[in-house]
Amino acid sequence: MSIQKVTVIDYGVGNIWSVMSALKYLGADTELTSEPEKISKASILVLPGVGSFKRGMEALKGRGIDESIIDAVTSKEAKILGICLGMQLMMAYSTEDGGAKGLGLLPNKIERFSIKNLNEKKIPHVGFNSIYVNEKEGLFKDLPDFADFYFTHSYRTLVDGMQGRYATCKYGDEFLAAYEIGNIYGTQFHPEKSQINGLIMLRNFMKAE
Amino acid sequence: MLSRNFRLQKVGGLGWLKKNYNFSNISFSIDELIILDVTRGEKDEKRFHEHVRSLASECFAPIAAGGGIRTLEHARNLLYSGADKVVVNTLIYESTDIMNEIISEFGQQSVVASVDVKMVDNKFTVWTDNGSVLQKKSVTQWLEDIALLGVGELYLNSIDRDGTGQGYQIELLDSIPDTFSIPVILSGGAGKYDHLSNGLRDKRIDAVATEHLFNFVGDGLKKMRNKLLEEGHNLPYWDAEIVRKMYNTLHTG
Repeated sequence: MSIQKVTVIDYGVGNIWSVMSALKYLGADTELTSEPEKISKASILVLPGVGSFKRGMEALKGRGIDESIIDAVTSKEAKILGICLGMQLMMAYSTEDGGAKGLGLLPNKIERFSIKNLNEKKIPHVGFNSIYVNEKEGLFKDLPDFADFYFTHSYRTLVDGMQGRYATCKYGDEFLAAYEIGNIYGTQFHPEKSQINGLIMLRNFMKAE
Repeated sequence: MLSRNFRLQKVGGLGWLKKNYNFSNISFSIDELIILDVTRGEKDEKRFHEHVRSLASECFAPIAAGGGIRTLEHARNLLYSGADKVVVNTLIYESTDIMNEIISEFGQQSVVASVDVKMVDNKFTVWTDNGSVLQKKSVTQWLEDIALLGVGELYLNSIDRDGTGQGYQIELLDSIPDTFSIPVILSGGAGKYDHLSNGLRDKRIDAVATEHLFNFVGDGLKKMRNKLLEEGHNLPYWDAEIVRKMYNTLHTG
């Protein structure tokens, strides 16, 4: 596999060090940037992030990055991987903190875990949990059965009407854990914190055509 | 979910660790890594951040880092150096204001409360400041205060058993208040497989931590993890052999 250039988007939110380290470990030539022009020109993008959806969107818009991402992904066919908050920001809407619109690359709505389904389990959902994949190809190639990944989040999206390759996880609700739709990829969990399963998935993302 | 942790004791520099122990044998065999700065006296924060970054660049599991955290800024630096959580001990009683600032900015799940316990006159007692200051409150009262504060996890360590390899001080768990709902990581004394296995079977514990160096020689830790999985312990599952193959194809192809 030739060396891939991966552009990691820096918008001042979350721990980028681990994502960069994992990509480097896998042999990627990594670039960390918050410049809209560089993001528009990138062919492989990673959007990490933890924390509040509203603050995340404000941080993207404040730097003019929101439009670059949409441009790169829709006009230039760049492939993008959204991780945790990053995955959520690519969607249409989140109800967190009174509600905010996302980048709209996918139609999903992000909402808090529903307490009545949780049966005394706590929010946030923190720790390793198993995912169930609908097709073990592409992003999900070479994963073992019952692969565990590291989650830490209070908000999630459900899978009704979901297209393409995706994986679910059960925590009270059965929610969307990861997906691959065309050139748009997302994981609710942190692949850079999910040991070997996470590295396999990052490698699959980098290799995908 | 049950998990296992590794706590690094500063018996040598980072280079020593990487040279004498195949770190990937360790890092892929654990669920989470805890890195503590146990330097007596004045700690070199900047150097510790660099150590955390260095370890974080080779460990793709959740990382908790701490030791001497007294300011929001120190916590922030660690959380941007690859740590997902900070471990606090003395800060819990010294400044609830700063504790709350950390929790407010990074969330409850980013804080691990560490409690060191020693037996004195047949009673369990709480010690802070690197085990040098005896606290008046009982272990139970101390844990009740922590429950009120609201942290993500409790790291409960036996000073007496620490480093002895004689097994965990399971009686410590009797001091946990009945209503305590924060996940508990038990630490101090694990020296062999049975300690880990029995610890994980106790329903009051959510994770077991080991810092005993003999556990890490060669592929000792890897073998222990495989055995725990084979014996039905509910540890997260991944295939340790795949990464070796992957690493080779990525770096030659």
